Amino acid sequence: MGKDSQWVTPGEVLGKASKFKAGRGAYVSPDNLTVYASLTGLRRILSPFPTHPTSWKFEFLRPTVEVTGHKAHGAIPEPGSIVIARVTKVMARMASADIMCLGTKSVREKFTGIIRLQDVRATEIDKVDMHMSFHPGDIVRAIVLSLGDARAYYLSTAKNELGVISAQSTAGATMVPISWTEMQCPLTGQIEHRKVAKVGQ
Amino acid sequence: MAGKGGATPSTYSPSPTTQKTKSLSFGNDDVLRPDDREWHQCRPAFFQIGVVAAAAGSAYADFGSTKVIVSVFGPRESKKAMMYSDIGRLNCNVSYTTFATPVRGQGSDHKEFSSMLHKALEGAIILETFPKTTVDVFALVLESGGSDLPVVISCASLALADAGIMMYDLVTSVSVSFLGKNLVLDPTLEEESYQDGSLILTWMPSRNKVTQLTITGEWSTPKINEGMKICMDACSKFSQIMKSCLKGLDSALEEEDSNVD
Repeated sequence: MGKDSQWVTPGEVLGKASKFKAGRGAYVSPDNLTVYASLTGLRRILSPFPTHPTSWKFEFLRPTVEVTGHKAHGAIPEPGSIVIARVTKVMARMASADIMCLGTKSVREKFTGIIRLQDVRATEIDKVDMHMSFHPGDIVRAIVLSLGDARAYYLSTAKNELGVISAQSTAGATMVPISWTEMQCPLTGQIEHRKVAKVGQ
Repeated sequence: MAGKGGATPSTYSPSPTTQKTKSLSFGNDDVLRPDDREWHQCRPAFFQIGVVAAAAGSAYADFGSTKVIVSVFGPRESKKAMMYSDIGRLNCNVSYTTFATPVRGQGSDHKEFSSMLHKALEGAIILETFPKTTVDVFALVLESGGSDLPVVISCASLALADAGIMMYDLVTSVSVSFLGKNLVLDPTLEEESYQDGSLILTWMPSRNKVTQLTITGEWSTPKINEGMKICMDACSKFSQIMKSCLKGLDSALEEEDSNVD
């Protein structure tokens, strides 16, 4: 194995903190200023701004050493991540949803989130009706606002591109969005209210 | 069943004939241990990762007749009743199979093992990397052959590494028993039943840090010192086996001699 692709295990020394920055799967010990691996995987060294031609001038820019390649644990939601969730329950002041995907990756374990009344949309938030925004079973795209409370993550759909991306009508057909607040059933022509996400361009 | 009329219950139980019947002369230096080991020699150790398909990470360890399997699940959502926390949680559980001990169903009185496993691992895991979520560690002792807790701890750290949980270092653990005037490394169940005291050291080998030290019985300071040195020496050797197991190298049955002079 080459020097740049060495298989390491947790606790292995990756280098001195004066020479490297700790990237993913690595940490710096404050006791002896050494970079250690915290995961199993391949040790890789990323040079600072490899495309930047003048980076050699900045001697204080250390290369980053990271450990990747082996399986990492399942993704967990963090503030700012875009999630796909399925609405499970709609109440007067909030809707609860099960997070199913984080970005493009599906979660390995189920996480619950709640969308509060004030986080449904950005404008006229005092006129929001929860039951006119979501129904149980809707698939929504949302952003994680915070880690929330002991029970759930706080989600928000207060952006154009966030909201319901797929919903079924009472007749059981997948509805077609017709405006940012309405969706129509292709079978019955019935119009239902949702906080619709703007998908694509 | 009915054909056996009058016979004793036909449940199989390994006959505990070797238990506590022969008086071992443990004070004698030239007598080897029941399994022909030196005083400061470990049993052959074997580790394997990825043995439970359903778990996020798992490991199997086999030290002589002590066999354990550890599965790691998560990080996953914490139980509803728990309080909010900015850092992750570790939940440990150690259980025994009903056939783990020579006398059936005797392995259940190890309630403290779960909390000891938790304390041993807690310091080695970077809990900040999975806020608000819980990592579950389930250890199952398949066969109890002595030094169960140290084997469980080492095996659990391997399972955590397999699950991709961020750790400061691997955790290795070994115990010594005080038998007469001898320190016996990695005692078997039989030796543990005769011990006057025990010392369990849980150590992070490359960081050179102790995460847990459990001492029972009467020990003098020099003996504790000696015991810890023996344990650390054995731990660093186990860590080599564990590392090669994680690296996918063939770690099959490596004989351990950790003779300390």
